[in-house]
Amino acid sequence: MTDPILRAVHVEKTFAPPQHGGAGVQAVRSVDLEVQRGEFVALTGSSGSGKSTLLHMLGGITRPTAGSVWLEGVDLAALDDAKLAVLRRRRIGFVFQRYNLLPELSLEENVALPLVLDGVAGTAASAAARVALEKVGMAHRASHSPDALSGGEQQRGAIARALVAAPALVLADEPTGALDSVNSRLVVELLHRLVEEQGQTVVLVTHDPGIAAAAGRAIRMADGRIVSDIVRAESRVAAGSPTP
Amino acid sequence: MIFESFRLRHLLLRQWRNRPGRALATALSVAVAVGAVVATWVSADASRIGYRRLTEALDGTPSIDISARAGGRFDVGKLPKLADISGVRAVVPLFFRPTLLRVGEKRVREIAVGVDAQTLAETGLLKLTSGTACVGPDETVLGAALAEGLGKSVGDEVLFFARRGVRRLTVTGIADPASLRWFADGAGVVVDIQALEQMSNALGLVDRVRVALEPNASRPDVLEAAGQRLPETLVAEIPAGRASMAEDVLHSADLGLDFVTGLTVAMAWFIVGNAMLMNVTERRRSLSLVRVLGASAGQIRGFITIEAALLGTLGALVGAGLGLAAARPISAGISRALQAPFSEMVVEPLIVPLAVLMGTLVAIAAAWWPAREAAQIDPLEGLSQAPAPANNQVSWRLLGAAFALWAFAALMLLLVLAERVPPRAAVPAGIAMLLSFVALTPLILPLLARGCACLVPRRFALEGRLALEQILRQPVRTALTTGVLVVAVSNGIGLGHAIRDNVDDVLGWYARMMRADWFLTHAGMVATGQAHAQGSLEAEADLRELSGIARIEVIGIAMGKVAGGAGVIVARDMPDDAPLPLAPVGMEESAVRAALARGEAVAGTVLARRAGIKAGDDVSVEVFGRKTSVRVAALVVDYTSGGASLVMRRDTAKRLFGLESADVLLVTAAEGQADALRAALEKIADRRGMLLRSAVDVRKFIDGIVGGVVGSLWAILGLGFAVGSLGVANTVTMNVLEKKHTIGLLRAVGMTSRQVTAMVVLESLLLGASGAIIGLVSGLVTALFIQWASQPLLGHPIRASFRPSVVVANLLAAVVVTGLAAWLPARRAATIDLLEAVSAE
Repeated sequence: MTDPILRAVHVEKTFAPPQHGGAGVQAVRSVDLEVQRGEFVALTGSSGSGKSTLLHMLGGITRPTAGSVWLEGVDLAALDDAKLAVLRRRRIGFVFQRYNLLPELSLEENVALPLVLDGVAGTAASAAARVALEKVGMAHRASHSPDALSGGEQQRGAIARALVAAPALVLADEPTGALDSVNSRLVVELLHRLVEEQGQTVVLVTHDPGIAAAAGRAIRMADGRIVSDIVRAESRVAAGSPTP
Repeated sequence: MIFESFRLRHLLLRQWRNRPGRALATALSVAVAVGAVVATWVSADASRIGYRRLTEALDGTPSIDISARAGGRFDVGKLPKLADISGVRAVVPLFFRPTLLRVGEKRVREIAVGVDAQTLAETGLLKLTSGTACVGPDETVLGAALAEGLGKSVGDEVLFFARRGVRRLTVTGIADPASLRWFADGAGVVVDIQALEQMSNALGLVDRVRVALEPNASRPDVLEAAGQRLPETLVAEIPAGRASMAEDVLHSADLGLDFVTGLTVAMAWFIVGNAMLMNVTERRRSLSLVRVLGASAGQIRGFITIEAALLGTLGALVGAGLGLAAARPISAGISRALQAPFSEMVVEPLIVPLAVLMGTLVAIAAAWWPAREAAQIDPLEGLSQAPAPANNQVSWRLLGAAFALWAFAALMLLLVLAERVPPRAAVPAGIAMLLSFVALTPLILPLLARGCACLVPRRFALEGRLALEQILRQPVRTALTTGVLVVAVSNGIGLGHAIRDNVDDVLGWYARMMRADWFLTHAGMVATGQAHAQGSLEAEADLRELSGIARIEVIGIAMGKVAGGAGVIVARDMPDDAPLPLAPVGMEESAVRAALARGEAVAGTVLARRAGIKAGDDVSVEVFGRKTSVRVAALVVDYTSGGASLVMRRDTAKRLFGLESADVLLVTAAEGQADALRAALEKIADRRGMLLRSAVDVRKFIDGIVGGVVGSLWAILGLGFAVGSLGVANTVTMNVLEKKHTIGLLRAVGMTSRQVTAMVVLESLLLGASGAIIGLVSGLVTALFIQWASQPLLGHPIRASFRPSVVVANLLAAVVVTGLAAWLPARRAATIDLLEAVSAE
């Protein structure tokens, strides 16, 4: 087995107690996890099980209370804010449930934003954004404002944004949570295609058992802990569509 | 890092394009703030110029005098060059000598002044009503009153008696009395200085050199520069009798102007700070998203800073223009109030660039905290659909800051009172004290707002509760909004009290000093010799022969030296059947009266402070060349010549110095006889070349000066309220923009547009009422502060009074202003597009 692209070691997260007393909330409890390059991992579990918090720690959005997260051999805890920001924009792509496209920018500008933040020249960033949009079948809507797009179109745009910097890892937090079944299927297929055709690594949080079943690896969390971790050989073919 | 932040310029431009209202409101805040500073600054300058012109109208061109330290004449050749000192308009050597003029059988004792009349006329310092300036040894210019009295005009001749015989002089011109008063000090005959020196066997000698200053020159600065160049034997002083009552009234008014300008800058800071805070708060979610996508904290900080700089510069440019536009009518109004001509508004060339720079820097500085907050936004916040967390934590650091500011203010006040630092140091100290109240606002505001909310009528209970919730949710931001009001109200109440107390002090003094129905005065007022004593004594004798007079009090005034410095000697009748016309400081009136009867004197508080005189001291006094020691029995509140006066009984002055002139005659009519005396008094005035004024005229004149000063300050304070209202309007508008989603939700669950309007107006009113209460306390403390700080200027404490009308006017203004300011934003909130609001980010 090769070196994992992502490794979490005894990761814990406790949210600080409210100001006026009360205990803190331990969202994630001593989680160990390794993700290999090209894996499609589905994180499942009931609400409050800690899956989104774990995903945020894996993506460097929030820091663990204890333990460490390593991405491509780099300890995220060792990075200061600026370096962590650079790592997020270059090596990680995020896809969220609510798409989170900036309404002020056109779809193309939204997709180009991580490159722009990284200092890539405007024309080059636009060209890369076009390529990413073509991959998700949204090039024809590049100049549109997010407000003018449907939910599915926005989410595909968000996936293009996650891919534009050719990240090592794509983290998706319930990307189909706000979509109807047709659009959900389109989005999931798109993510699977990334893994199969480009060898992309995807970690996806979902409530949907259908999507989890289609993933190469399904990890279930409960009460902040990993309670099962199942790797399937031929999962994509078996499922491929989310449960309506 | 700033360079990296430029990568986000597209996002910035798009945000401005998508939400122009937000960017415009932020820029408008800067515009309002800068406009206020510029308008206040220019208006304050207009007030100062108006005051100066008012003083000039009373006293002539501002000037300083150079005289021999040991007294007497000095060789003008020893005078170093002074004309090149910045602010010096002309250097005028003066030579005085008593003379006798004969016209036919009429003989008149007069003072002749030797001067380079032609140069004076060319520089505009001597104005002639007819004819030309005298040049040769056989020419003269007569004062208009004297010429009229002698029945002489241009081309006529007079006989001039001098030490070296009699000379026949041709009258070449008639001098305007006001311009003559500036340099002649009561003299009515102008002769070429060399000719007069020759006639007096004193070639090359002068009595003093008067240095005329440019209109905008700083007298203290010129005084200091001249003093450094003078040899040990010469001394530079402000001419005695030149600091008029108007100027003295304005000592504290001037402090007040500095105070108002400083506070406007503080107010500007609050307005801009608040706008920046809201501008960032509204975008917390999108900023956090940008963070998730890889923007560093530094990039976000830079993004906010660049935006602040751009909006700040834009707003400052607009604000400077608006400020100048607003300053014009205000300045014109102030000039009208001060009865000073308003020709062209004076704008210091640096005002606009400084204001623009200040606006930009204030915007950047005001954005520092929001930028820091934005950089620290948790990226998770952007992923959450929940609204931004309420900032309920009020830092105890604020309390520490308030205490530190208060301690600084108290320390500075003590230093000012101890005269360790100049009185102007009280200005930053006063502002620090006011800011300490503002710093306390976040701590006090919740309590006050809750209290005020209890007063909301029951039918607005729901709207009141929601409005209160909005205020309590963001105490720091609401405190900034309230800070603007606190400053405006505090300004109004503090300065309102201080000004009224100051004015009452002057008016009280005037009423004590000038108690009479009629006043007869010499045009020149201040005597340099005994030349016109005879005429005034004759006037006094005339008066005593009239019937219908209850009391005549005579005041003689002479310039002299007290304890080595310039001073005015006031000799006056102090009848036993009338109250003492003086207000002793810390001594019984009867004891002062007894001391005066023993031949002692009382010193004005300013003179005492300047010369280090205490009650019981013996001081050297020189008048008309006679020098003697006089015991100072007490210090008195006196505004004659800025309080630089030594007052004694008339009989004492006559005995010690031969001062017996009657420069001012106060005539109190017997009951019901005041009007009947007019005709007789007018005759005496005509006959003796004196000016007759009724108590009503004098009162009107004084009221005009005082009203002008008070009016000008109120105009500037009013500007503060106008700015405060714009600040509140802007803040409430941004509040509404920020709460669009909340308002949309409230409307969606059934709140009517009227209820939304009521909620927004109530929020504003609660803020206004809370701010007004804090401003009231702060204002009263400010009033005391200004009065204490004025003490070293005035030399005596001023009685502080509580003035309900000032308080009520300011509180009402605050509540009305906030209510009106909320109206438009409230209408906007009520007509919000529901669908757009509910889907707003």
